[in-house]
Parts: sequence; C-alpha cells; structure tokens
Amino acid sequence: MTTIPTSFELTFRPNVELVSIVRHFVSDFYERMIDDADAVSRIALATHELLENAVKYSSDGATSLSINFEPNEPDSKVSIRLANRASAEHVAALTAIFDEMKNHTDPFALYQIVMARSAKRKVGSGLGLVRVCAEGEMTMSYSIEDDRVTILAQAIVATRRAS
Amino acid sequence: MSTNGNLTITLRDFSTSAERTGTTLTLKLVGNADMAAKDSLDALLPRLHQEALSLSAKEVVIDFRELEFMNSSCFKSFVTWISDVSELEADKQYKIRLLSKAEMHWQRRSLHALRCFAIDLITIET
Repeated sequence: MTTIPTSFELTFRPNVELVSIVRHFVSDFYERMIDDADAVSRIALATHELLENAVKYSSDGATSLSINFEPNEPDSKVSIRLANRASAEHVAALTAIFDEMKNHTDPFALYQIVMARSAKRKVGSGLGLVRVCAEGEMTMSYSIEDDRVTILAQAIVATRRAS
Repeated sequence: MSTNGNLTITLRDFSTSAERTGTTLTLKLVGNADMAAKDSLDALLPRLHQEALSLSAKEVVIDFRELEFMNSSCFKSFVTWISDVSELEADKQYKIRLLSKAEMHWQRRSLHALRCFAIDLITIET
C-alpha cells in the first residue's frame, strides 16, 4: 500500500468506449496503490457507473473526474468526484434519487427496492447511483451550483501493511 | 447440444453463447457488458426465457466466469428477466444457477444482490 496520497483528474467528453478504458486505467492504477483487490474493484465500479451517468445526462458532454486516495492508519479514504452540467430535468431526477438514498439507512435494502422498481421500467434502470452506494459501499453526496452537478462518492478502505 | 442459435451475441467486447444439455440451458457471457451491450442483452434475455419455457427447462445456468464487468443497465436486464421468471406460475418456473469467479470481485456483490432478489429461484456457484 502506498503511503503517499495519490490523485488524478481527467476532463474530457466520455463516450461508451472511453468509460471502459477509464475503468481499466483506474483498476490497473489502484491495483498498484492498494493491496485490497476488492476495494479496487469497488472503486472501478463506482468510476464506471458515475461516468456512464455523465454520458447519459451531461448537457454539453463534458465531464470532470477526479479520484483521490488518502492513505492513513488504520483506514484510508478514497474520494471519487464527478462534475458535469445537467438540465433542470436531470437535476430534479438526481435530487429525487439522493432524497431516497438519504431516507434509507440500509443501502442494500434500498437497492432491492430499486431493483424491483427497475424490473418494470421501460427506459433507464435507475440503478447506477444506488449500486455505487450498495455494492461499492460508498457514501454518496452531491452539490449543485447553477447547472453544474458534482457527485462525490467516498469509501473507507482498510490500510494493509505490505508483508 | 447447441440451441437454435438466437442466443448468440457477438460484439467487439462482449459475446454470448448458449448450450442445452437435457433440461438445462446454459448461457455463457464473455467480455465487458457495458452500454454497448445493453440493447443486445435486452433483446436476448426474453429469447432465453422463451426458449427455456418452450424446452420446459428445469434450470437455466448463467456463466459469468469470463465476464469482466457488467454495468447497471445490463444488470437491470437480468433483474427484469428474473422478475419475469418469478412471476410465472410455480409449475412453469425454472431454477437459475449463476456461475461466478472469485477473482472477479464485482461478481460477489452483484450476484448476491440478484440472488436476494429471488432467493427461492437462484443459487450461486463459485
């Protein structure tokens, strides 16, 4: 496990192909920084889902992704921040999702509820952010400034000493 | 024994193939199930369901072991299919077995979530 904070930021116009390329990069990069393959997998999943969200909802196509890893003892913190412009309609939909997440203390129980609802949906899944929270075991928050939306997903990962 | 062939997807980064052995139908997924795979998977799973019903299959096996990643849109396709199976009358339902690989860490959480969604129908084998 690295003892030096690491971070990177990408500003680009993600598309379907680039999302998977970035997920691979994040996975390959953090495999060399964190000795916990499961935590790396959670970071990669969250990165992928948040970027796909941006592909679908960014009003101008541009997105800023930053990932920070702050090693500490006994736990380290990973922060994934994604910012893009969005329409009022999409901001309202995002607000509704976060309100629902805030009202449920058990992310996995909410995930099951949203899955049941998703099964009957004809358009979209409505699962992405809830999945990041439940499967990625991430704490989620968001902020809105004018039409710019920033989503922050954070996870605490155990710090392991190299043997 | 092969199926009638309409359960095959061949994309650049994602593919599927199917086999029938007795009353078991197996669908194997390979690659990266992301937004590029969504429409194909959406169309395939209802066909898998119909084929399972027409064969009176007792079990459908989904082999995820070579699936590197699945996004939430493709995950939703499975949720819809599982929901359709669970809504069948009991005598028409078939069991679902999910084959996973421990090294694919995302699979542990995603497949567990699917299992909890229909716990009487689904088993996971690692």
